[in-house]
Amino acid sequence: MIDPSVIRPEIALDDFLPIFLSSALAMLFGGFYVGIYTAVKVKMLKSWAMPIAYLFWFLTAYSLYIMGSLMHVGEFTAKALIVSMIGYLLLPHAVYHMQHQVHEENEH
Amino acid sequence: MASNTLNESKQLATWYFTFAFILFGAQLLFGLVAATQFVMPGFLFEILDFSVARTLHINALVVWMVFAMFGSVYWLLPDETGINTIGIKMGKLLYWVFVAAIAVVVLVYIFVQVGPADQTTIWFIMEGREYIEAPRWADIGIVVVALGFVANLFLTGMKGKQTGIVTVLMADMIAFAGLYLAGMFFTDNISVDQYWWWWVIHLWVEATWEVFVGAIAAYGLITMIGAHRKVVEMWLWIEVAMLFGSGILGMGHHYFWIGTPEYWWEIGALFSALEPIPLVAMFVHVLYDWGKTQGAEEEAGNPASVINNKPAFTWFVLNAFGNFLGAGIWGFFHTLPQVNLYTHGTQFTSAHGHLAFFGAYATILIGMMYIAVQGKNNIKVLKNTKSSIWAVSMIAGGVMGMTVALTIAGYVQVLVSRAQMGATWAGYFDGQEGMWFAQGMDWRLIMGLVTFLGFALLAKDLLTTGKNPVHER
Repeated sequence: MIDPSVIRPEIALDDFLPIFLSSALAMLFGGFYVGIYTAVKVKMLKSWAMPIAYLFWFLTAYSLYIMGSLMHVGEFTAKALIVSMIGYLLLPHAVYHMQHQVHEENEH
Repeated sequence: MASNTLNESKQLATWYFTFAFILFGAQLLFGLVAATQFVMPGFLFEILDFSVARTLHINALVVWMVFAMFGSVYWLLPDETGINTIGIKMGKLLYWVFVAAIAVVVLVYIFVQVGPADQTTIWFIMEGREYIEAPRWADIGIVVVALGFVANLFLTGMKGKQTGIVTVLMADMIAFAGLYLAGMFFTDNISVDQYWWWWVIHLWVEATWEVFVGAIAAYGLITMIGAHRKVVEMWLWIEVAMLFGSGILGMGHHYFWIGTPEYWWEIGALFSALEPIPLVAMFVHVLYDWGKTQGAEEEAGNPASVINNKPAFTWFVLNAFGNFLGAGIWGFFHTLPQVNLYTHGTQFTSAHGHLAFFGAYATILIGMMYIAVQGKNNIKVLKNTKSSIWAVSMIAGGVMGMTVALTIAGYVQVLVSRAQMGATWAGYFDGQEGMWFAQGMDWRLIMGLVTFLGFALLAKDLLTTGKNPVHER
């Protein structure tokens, strides 16, 4: 017989699978976002694909929101996740900008 | 004369790669023994127990990667610096010292296995710390070898051309060697002891090895597709900044449950959430350089592939994906403290470990072996062969299969052993008796066998490349 005092009630039993799936999807969608963004910028994909990249960023943010809600993260961690999402949104822009400048300097 | 010495550095690199490959095989073999023992607990009982097989499996992994790292540096050093590698004779001597020490340590692990709980065991049998169990005498030997290697790298790097790749490697390798010292002493307080011990393996993997991968990816992209050095090296600096920025404090997720102060929850959570960013950046890195270089060639009216080593490039691309999947997705699964409370120490950890070590490190080191094989045999364009394609498919598929099987087993442990039964002794055993856990272990063994067959094909392909007429010379 298990003493009820040792059971950790923080996460409901049915919530584990959605937590694992949403955390995996957050990363996967994030990968699609930066992948498509970069592919459009280097002309491997047409420019009409760019909105799809941003759609994937939105899905990343939503997955992270689901994950954080089900985990009942504290206030600090919630803020950390928001900062991470803003970072994910801006990162490919900043990196591409720097890359582009370097290419321009070297090719022209 | 110059070219002879130049070849000596590359020759030494091939020695390192050869021994690394042998240890890679040993790692897989002992992994199969341990996986079989999960399915048939009586297998090799009291001959090669699970604890011994697991020790050999994990230590062989760490050591083959260190050998392949040294080999990679000795291979690229003459290309990057433009001069002969300085101290190559000492490098060769240290190689044999290293090989002899590892051989003795492995024999002791297999035939002596355990000893009394005193200093004799620590000095001559094993230290008992997971991943770095080497006895004290071997520890000291490893430090001497690592210092010799770092000295060669610094002397050559400072005298020759100081490219971004070599500069990053010089800083990275001194951190890599220095961190090993954190695992060479014991403290009376187990929390403090675990704190320092984690510095070795997890600051290696979160920081120094990832930076090493960034440097090798940069070298590989220049070598294989002719990517522009300035662009590649700028990527490298961005990755280094992000890796050190997130990785060092991100390892706070290892301090959650070992008795360290609670502020590590927040520090670990924040920086762990940021850790996947450089991994995504590495993925973009490869895509960007490949797209740009191929696009420029096509615009110039040359539609042929820019890749001069297809198998190596395949492994490098697999590295970008594998790093993102294994370290990124499988790491992020259970990195926040709220969920890590339930997953810590289950097969989830093992699933993450398998895919992350393979995806982030094994792939790129195998890619470097293909670059070395190409260079050694003066091959202009190294093409894919049936063996190389089957090898990469079976190894990647096998490791992915093992990862999925371990994830399912870990999920059962999370639900049964942790959430329902509160991490109790009874919960631990109930979790392992479940049908899904047992089947997960069966599939892990099957996929382990697939991986091993893939390894055999990889060995065949690497050994026959020199005589294979399909490659352009």
